[in-house]
Amino acid sequence: MTASKGRAKGTNRLPLLAQAGPVSLWMILFVTIPMLFIIFISFMTRGTFGGVEYTPSLESYQTMMEVTYFHIIVKSLGVAAETTIACLIVGYPFAYYIARKPPATASRLITLLMIPFWTNSLMRLNAWMLIFQTNGPVNNFMLKTHIVDQPVTFIFTDGLVLLGLITNYLPFAVLPMYSSIEKLQKPILEASADLGAKPSVTLLKVTLPLTFPGIFSAIILTFIPALGTYVITDMLGGGKVLYIGNIIKNQFGTIRNWPLGAAMSVLLLAVTALMIFLYSRFAKVEDMEVV
Amino acid sequence: MKKKLLALIFGLVVMFAFTACGSSDSGDSGDSGDTASKELNVFMWSDYLSDDVVADFENETGIKVNLSYMNDNADSINKLTAGAGDEYDLIMTCDAYMESLIKGGYLEELDLSQIPNSENINKAYWSEENQKYCIPYLMNYIYVVYDTERCPIEITCYNDLIKPEMKGQLGSIDGARNLFPIALIALGYDPNSTEESEIAEAYEWLKKYNDNVVAYGSTETNIVNGTISAMLTYDGNTAEAMASMGDNNTLTVAPFKEDPVQLGFDLYVIPKGAKHMDAAYAFLNYITDPEVMAKNLIDNPYSCPNDAAVAAASEEYRNGPAFDFDYKENIFFQEDVGDAIKIYDKYYQKLKVDTGE
Amino acid sequence: MAERDKLNRKQKRDRRRKIPWTIFAALVYASFYIPVLVMILFSFNDAKRNYSWMGFTTEWYPKLFSFGNHDLWESLVYSLVIAILATVISVIIGVLGGIGLKKFEFRGKRFINMMLFVPIVVPEVVMAVSMLIIFMIVGIKLGLGAIVIGHCTFCIPYAVIIIKGRITGDNETLQEASMDLGANRIQTFLKVTIPSIMPGIMSAAFLSFTLSIDDVMISNMLAGASQSTLPVLILSVNRTGITPDINALTTIMVIVMLFGMVVMNIMQRIHNKREARIMAESDARIQAARLAAEEY
Repeated sequence: MTASKGRAKGTNRLPLLAQAGPVSLWMILFVTIPMLFIIFISFMTRGTFGGVEYTPSLESYQTMMEVTYFHIIVKSLGVAAETTIACLIVGYPFAYYIARKPPATASRLITLLMIPFWTNSLMRLNAWMLIFQTNGPVNNFMLKTHIVDQPVTFIFTDGLVLLGLITNYLPFAVLPMYSSIEKLQKPILEASADLGAKPSVTLLKVTLPLTFPGIFSAIILTFIPALGTYVITDMLGGGKVLYIGNIIKNQFGTIRNWPLGAAMSVLLLAVTALMIFLYSRFAKVEDMEVV
Repeated sequence: MKKKLLALIFGLVVMFAFTACGSSDSGDSGDSGDTASKELNVFMWSDYLSDDVVADFENETGIKVNLSYMNDNADSINKLTAGAGDEYDLIMTCDAYMESLIKGGYLEELDLSQIPNSENINKAYWSEENQKYCIPYLMNYIYVVYDTERCPIEITCYNDLIKPEMKGQLGSIDGARNLFPIALIALGYDPNSTEESEIAEAYEWLKKYNDNVVAYGSTETNIVNGTISAMLTYDGNTAEAMASMGDNNTLTVAPFKEDPVQLGFDLYVIPKGAKHMDAAYAFLNYITDPEVMAKNLIDNPYSCPNDAAVAAASEEYRNGPAFDFDYKENIFFQEDVGDAIKIYDKYYQKLKVDTGE
Repeated sequence: MAERDKLNRKQKRDRRRKIPWTIFAALVYASFYIPVLVMILFSFNDAKRNYSWMGFTTEWYPKLFSFGNHDLWESLVYSLVIAILATVISVIIGVLGGIGLKKFEFRGKRFINMMLFVPIVVPEVVMAVSMLIIFMIVGIKLGLGAIVIGHCTFCIPYAVIIIKGRITGDNETLQEASMDLGANRIQTFLKVTIPSIMPGIMSAAFLSFTLSIDDVMISNMLAGASQSTLPVLILSVNRTGITPDINALTTIMVIVMLFGMVVMNIMQRIHNKREARIMAESDARIQAARLAAEEY
């Protein structure tokens, strides 16, 4: 009796289990549990010879209250914000340009945007350095054409760091915005034009609001990863400024203060949660476009 | 209930599949019985061991050497302290971490009778305590090098580096424990100080240093392509930079008068639970052989604590311009500073935040 | 006539208006491809390390195939194996999950949907470290398996979300029709559902492969004893300066993968054409049958 009931229930549940089961399990095992553990570690103490001593303490969070960390966090937020704004300014018109192409061309253009990622990001960063270094082609050209008399220092400047960050994160801003622009229905735009709205008005009053979910997820997808980056800023910026990513890496590395590194990670998780919460006020999180 | 059970079974299957996958990947591990090991897993810096030497070792002993590379000294420490040490048979680390690693119980004690060639290593570079746990491989001086044509001043001490003339001229290696010692020395303190007041003073000194620095890291690239004209760096990297400038070399090692320079060691340790101890011993004995090490020095022109090997090495190596300085005895070592590392870290972070505004 | 003139003028104006757009897009693409071209150029650099341009040589390509470089090739193969495994696993779980999360309602669905965003947005350092610690505690051996798990963890969310976006009402109607015609669930899944979301599967696979092949941080943390992936090897060589043979290897890799993609594209197109022809033929046959029936 119970067996047959169980089986009946089982047959009903099997498709659900087979389809939603693996992904749920994977996310719980390899995302939820590790993240919970990071939170747990952040409340422990640094082991004298590295590792973690399981004595509860708030030391890491107290350390994070110090003014130095405040500066680091502000700086990181600043760079991430710059990157995000730049990615939006460049990415939105670009996504719009792609979205207006026929679907086959559009998907080819998107692919074209991703192919450079087949070369390693370090190789691309190195290439930027080679282009802009003191005796590099850009400087040589400017010296030969007498635009300048002295080589210009491009490398290790904020400008080059920003260029590196934009070229690294732009595709992740373009993809969601492209998806939501593509879904825009032409008739709506045409209606707006027919009713006599100027293109700029249509853009501000119709296009932008309707594609807002795409824009917001582009913000999330560039802002938070940029907040945790350190490879790009170190290589192109000359490692003179520390960001949150550096601090985390150093704590888990040479400094061997895992709880502090974990606490900084928790801070990043909190920022992530906050942004997703904000997003959920405007649109359904489940429908968030990321690609 | 059934759902939970199924989920559990699935989870176990996934886990099992992957752990099995993972272990089959590392080959025939675990057979540390009577039979000799057929492989050796080494974790070390890349470009730091001659391919020919590895090939010769493999041909002579029939042991397959699997090299994997670290990107940071921290990588090897992380592997050891996170409990992954037993995946390897030899791990490279540096002298500054030895005390922690020994006290933390992460290392196997060495049986030097199995490494007779270790006799060749200069005991001055190999402390009594370390002899039980590590074999020094190569070493590097952290000194100052400048370009005689482009550098505005002649540099003879650390205090020259913070002169205003040096603004925008300086490149430097990074890391709290590489930077603070030079400041402490310039101020006349112990380079391994654990006094917060002294470290705080060193921080003030380093602020001026930091003002002059163009970039941390990639020092040899930057001096060759003309971005900087002086650098605090390793001797091996200097050798690379000088070699790539060839006949037009204008780099010279700064003629320091009084200030000592840091001498760091890269050493091999056997992590606790290593599975191919015999292969590890065979390799350590092979690499400490004077002829072998001399050959290795051709590709890796670093300073070497193996006196017999240096004697056997090529003229070119021994007379290399990167080793052309006369204060090789005036050195200090990086010591484990224990919990004071947190103080260093605090001021290091402060240093990297205050500037750049 | 005047009407036509007007139309022509409008077209011309439209085209002229498009020019700045095209220039803008070209600039964006240039910023993506200039580093790649420079990277390729420096594979012909006559210097031991790529500090700066020293002259032209092709010696690095033959050297790449000589004995001393087995490290590079091994790591390339290792990277490709990892990328392919990660892609296959991510796509399978992504397809199942995308359909499941779209079709079914169950407790905890909101939670899983939230969790999917975590690997996408959380900085890689945090992901990498948390996984390292958990793997050590659970006893998952570092190496190939661990890296594949790590890569899947950030590829699966993308795959799920792409697939979810591809499932529309049409798919469900089709599925129901298939079931009504007597196909069982598995047949329906393989013969109807999968083909109808094929473009989504392709882009999920492409993105997973790209993300996996570019990853440094997680591969570095979870690397095992015997081998490292190409990006990790590059990271460690970067300490002393990239050597031109790495540029040469990357160049070959990109060209081979591009070639593979073009071939796949062409095969897809031939397949589509054949399918279209079959459809047309069957259409014609139906037409003929109808005509015959009418005549009769």
